[in-house]
Amino acid sequence: MESSSIKKPLKDGPNWEHNEEVPRLPGETRVTDKEVIYMCPFNGPVKGRVYITNYRLYLRSVESDTVVILDVPLGAISRIEKMGGASSRGENSYGLDITCKDMRNLRFALKQEGHSRRDIFELLTKYAFPQSHNLPFFAFLNEEKFPENGWLVYNPMVEYRRQGLPNDQWRVTFLNEHHALCDTYPSLLVVPYNTTDDDLKKVSAFRSRGRIPVLSWIHPENQAVITRCSQPLVGMSGKRNKDDEKYLEVIRDTNGQLSKLTIYDARPNVNAVANKATGGGYESEDAYPNAELLFLDIHNIHVMRESLKKLKDIVYPHVEESHWLSSLESTHWLEHIKLVLTGAIQIADKVSSGKSSVLVHCSDGWDRTAQLTSLSMLMLDSYYRTILGFEVLVQKEWISFGHKFSSRIGHGDKNHADADRSPIFLQFIDCVWQMSKQFPTAFEFNEQFLITILDHLYSCRFGTFLYNCDSVREKEKLSEKTLSLWSLINSTKAKYVNPFYTKELNRALYPVASMRHLELWVNYYIRWNPRIRQQQPNPVEQRYLELLALRDDYMRRLEELQITNNPRLSNSSSSSSSSSQMMSHVQTHF
Amino acid sequence: MEFAELIKTTKVDNVVFSHPGLEPVAGTLCITSHHLLLSGSREQNQIELWLLIRNVDAIEKRLANSSCSLTLKCKDLKVLHLEIPGMEECLNVASSIEALSSVESVMMMYPFFYRPQSMRLAGGGRQPHALEKYYQQVASRTGAWRLSVVNEDFQACPSYPALVVVPSSVDDAALRKSARFRQGGRFPVLSYYHKKNGTVMLRSSQPLVGPHRKRCPEDEGLLAAALDGRSRGFVLDTRSAQAAKQAKMMGGGTEHRSAYAGWKRMHRALDRGRPLQESFVKVVETCNDPSLTMDRWLSKLEASKWLTHVKESLGTACLAAQCMEREEACVLVHGAEGMDTTLLVTALAQVILDPCRRTMAGFQELLEQEWIQAGHPFHLRCARSAYSHARLKQESPVFLLFLDCVWQLGRQFPLSLEFNEAFLLALFEHSYASPYGTFLCNNEKERKLCNVEGKTHSLWPWIHSERQKFLNPLFAPNPLVIWPSVEPQSIFLWQGLFLRWVRSSHYIDEAWTEIQKIARNHKAHLEHQSGAASTQTEAQTLSKVETNAHL
Repeated sequence: MESSSIKKPLKDGPNWEHNEEVPRLPGETRVTDKEVIYMCPFNGPVKGRVYITNYRLYLRSVESDTVVILDVPLGAISRIEKMGGASSRGENSYGLDITCKDMRNLRFALKQEGHSRRDIFELLTKYAFPQSHNLPFFAFLNEEKFPENGWLVYNPMVEYRRQGLPNDQWRVTFLNEHHALCDTYPSLLVVPYNTTDDDLKKVSAFRSRGRIPVLSWIHPENQAVITRCSQPLVGMSGKRNKDDEKYLEVIRDTNGQLSKLTIYDARPNVNAVANKATGGGYESEDAYPNAELLFLDIHNIHVMRESLKKLKDIVYPHVEESHWLSSLESTHWLEHIKLVLTGAIQIADKVSSGKSSVLVHCSDGWDRTAQLTSLSMLMLDSYYRTILGFEVLVQKEWISFGHKFSSRIGHGDKNHADADRSPIFLQFIDCVWQMSKQFPTAFEFNEQFLITILDHLYSCRFGTFLYNCDSVREKEKLSEKTLSLWSLINSTKAKYVNPFYTKELNRALYPVASMRHLELWVNYYIRWNPRIRQQQPNPVEQRYLELLALRDDYMRRLEELQITNNPRLSNSSSSSSSSSQMMSHVQTHF
Repeated sequence: MEFAELIKTTKVDNVVFSHPGLEPVAGTLCITSHHLLLSGSREQNQIELWLLIRNVDAIEKRLANSSCSLTLKCKDLKVLHLEIPGMEECLNVASSIEALSSVESVMMMYPFFYRPQSMRLAGGGRQPHALEKYYQQVASRTGAWRLSVVNEDFQACPSYPALVVVPSSVDDAALRKSARFRQGGRFPVLSYYHKKNGTVMLRSSQPLVGPHRKRCPEDEGLLAAALDGRSRGFVLDTRSAQAAKQAKMMGGGTEHRSAYAGWKRMHRALDRGRPLQESFVKVVETCNDPSLTMDRWLSKLEASKWLTHVKESLGTACLAAQCMEREEACVLVHGAEGMDTTLLVTALAQVILDPCRRTMAGFQELLEQEWIQAGHPFHLRCARSAYSHARLKQESPVFLLFLDCVWQLGRQFPLSLEFNEAFLLALFEHSYASPYGTFLCNNEKERKLCNVEGKTHSLWPWIHSERQKFLNPLFAPNPLVIWPSVEPQSIFLWQGLFLRWVRSSHYIDEAWTEIQKIARNHKAHLEHQSGAASTQTEAQTLSKVETNAHL
């Protein structure tokens, strides 16, 4: 979704303006349009006309030498402010200031006379923040049609069966079908075979928001598992709960090893202690003698939000020139990435060693926990490195287990300063990008896939990331009334395929999480700046794809030649066998 | 001098050796006059390691009880650990390596002894100069330039080659006078002719203006002739205006506007010499320091200033290129001596402007012409690398900085260079320690004295024999000027060089090998198929070239 681009004027310049309509999706309706001056931070003021629909803000310049186009989904807007007053002096000092969630800001100057901005301000605010104005999300109005149905991508039963579940140690329970046990969990859960539903209910009383330990992933060979939950409700008095203690003991037992259960508390030690004051806490050694507790030192959502804000300050609109690296360092963004990756590596390593199962939690178990379980699963299970598998991973560990997308992103909400906002999911995608940099052949998807996911994390064109948890989604009938982002992606899959991908089963990937191997994701964070070279699509990928296509073409022609040259081979079965022989010759093995 | 005197022990058994990426292996160490040979075996695998002693930059000893360990830090940034039984043996090994690695005489260096069976010395048959070849190209387009033999005996300028290209209208007597007015005799000569619009790039050293504003009519005439009727030229001084002014007090200086009509001065300060060497030492130190965790890595990297040097160099080269391509003006580049940053800028600008310089052969000619024959003092600059504890003399990684800049170009234009990272790494290694004579000595005069051409092998035939390894499989000739982005966010640490021995590049190498295979298959197919269809496909593929960034 290329939203701001500066294009050379087309050859048939004069006709262009009449021919090109403002792009519109089925279901997208026009709201208003207006003459404005776009205060482009890179090229100076640009005269243009801005078109507002119920889905996007679209600007096209009217001067003919270079065409400036701006195409921003309204969902990406986090804040709209008036700049200057009717009596402001100075050129272009009166207008609108728009802050976006995708690392850019827009500024439009308007004519000062006649309250010219009042209408556009009100309409823009109304459609950019539909939830604050009792309007539906655009996703509910979208009438696009796709050959693929993305809502069918994730079926929990199929996914658990793929993992070999249920088995003699783990069973599937529908206890949470009506979200009575835990309103932020999915209806289908995998729990130890020997624990009854009654036991689970008792455990839920001792876990914050009823988020009990459940299975996320099981190692196909050594049966060690990754389980996830929220913090135990220990409190200042150091409460204990026999059912919870017994439950963790059962989990520890399932892989038939004698070693301790490893509990990864994603928080820094001090924060975990501080949580006791609000009734939370962590598993003490006394109460859980067979568990080993490790803190992973990952900071909370507020720290991450501030870090990203600092990052935006140094990359938009103008990149910090003189002390780029030290100012990048002072944002701590890469440092946080490193800590998340390091935590995930520890978990993956523990599980693949087969010595112990792990339990992961933070406070509520929907932010850092989701990052850690999903990243460690990505390292351990090559299925999640395919396009489909990654969609399943996001659906499962993030969407179904109640990462609060609505609160973290603030879809359609005018409350831009809400303390619940935080770029946790972005951070996860950044970690995935870092891994894909280090293992260029291990992922079926490319950078564009990740950027597309992030663009639609905000756009509200699809239902995929709307709302906080499954219980609300079911109530809103999301899968009936909206489209899934995976419908778009799976229908145009070729765009998102990494040509270097080579399928390799069951190899655990351990990225190097040392700072010197982490890079700022320039193609995402600084993509609006035309001075930073970025070529989309990536020329190396492009060239490689061309070569692969040529190869396939030659193979096909060779096959044809063989058929025509050798009449004996012209029946279909033998010709296909000969071509497959040839194929194996040039087949890629890596 | 006999090498035998320097070798205190020739063979030690039961040595355990290791380096990052190689698990410790026990075996035998042999010391010859130019090599360390380590051989051992593990699990039936014979492991043999040859190390050119010239490659050893620093040697550190750690003594403990009866055994002793040596750490050899190499000029190619590799670090090798040896554990040697017996204190005395160990000290002997150390002092032998120390003595052998610091032999100063060029004639005693390995290239003079390297005689592989498969290669024959060039002997008398002189290869045509890269410069002569280049002059033929220029001469085919314009008569404004001539090949002069004024420096045949290296009298006019000891650091210039015998042949130089100068304006046709300037005679040798004037050249000699101009040489006397330039530091080290480096009078303005042609570096590059821009075919597209006929503008030229010249290079020289600073004029010896001095505190009394001396002038030299022949020098002024030379630059006037270089303009060849054009109204404008730019003098790109690679020092700050301040530094240029200070140089006047020492007898140097820069071109005065009043004396050189049409020439406008610009200053772009580029560090060289000691600050650059220190930056190199720091960046390597930072990359090798395992204790540097997340909170200090980036600021340390920044403090090393290496990336700033890269950015400034690219920026200055872009400026020179811009003057020619966009302003249609001539350029004269110089700093003080005109053999470090000057060459960096003229060579880089050519890679940016000229697609011919981005091929394997063209780049090799560029190195010959703009670095080796142009008199970059490799012997002095590359005597020591980033680890040495020895007192620094004239060491400075200007050439490495150039290679880094080219790597950045390759990163930003992944299809436009015919060669790959491995090629740049090989050039880096061979410029510091090599069995070949190509990078020996400081200039043509010295090379002639030592008969480098007759007594050593050239690097290029070897490069050619290993060509497949050094080709960029995705190369698609790009006829455009490649303007790099020089924002700090676009400049990256060259991991393949600086983290080469720290990280494992296994997965990335695998991917490239595979691309290479596919590209080769593609080529083979094309060669097998004659006919319009295939050429058409190729033309289509090749027509897609990388686009320019906004500068």
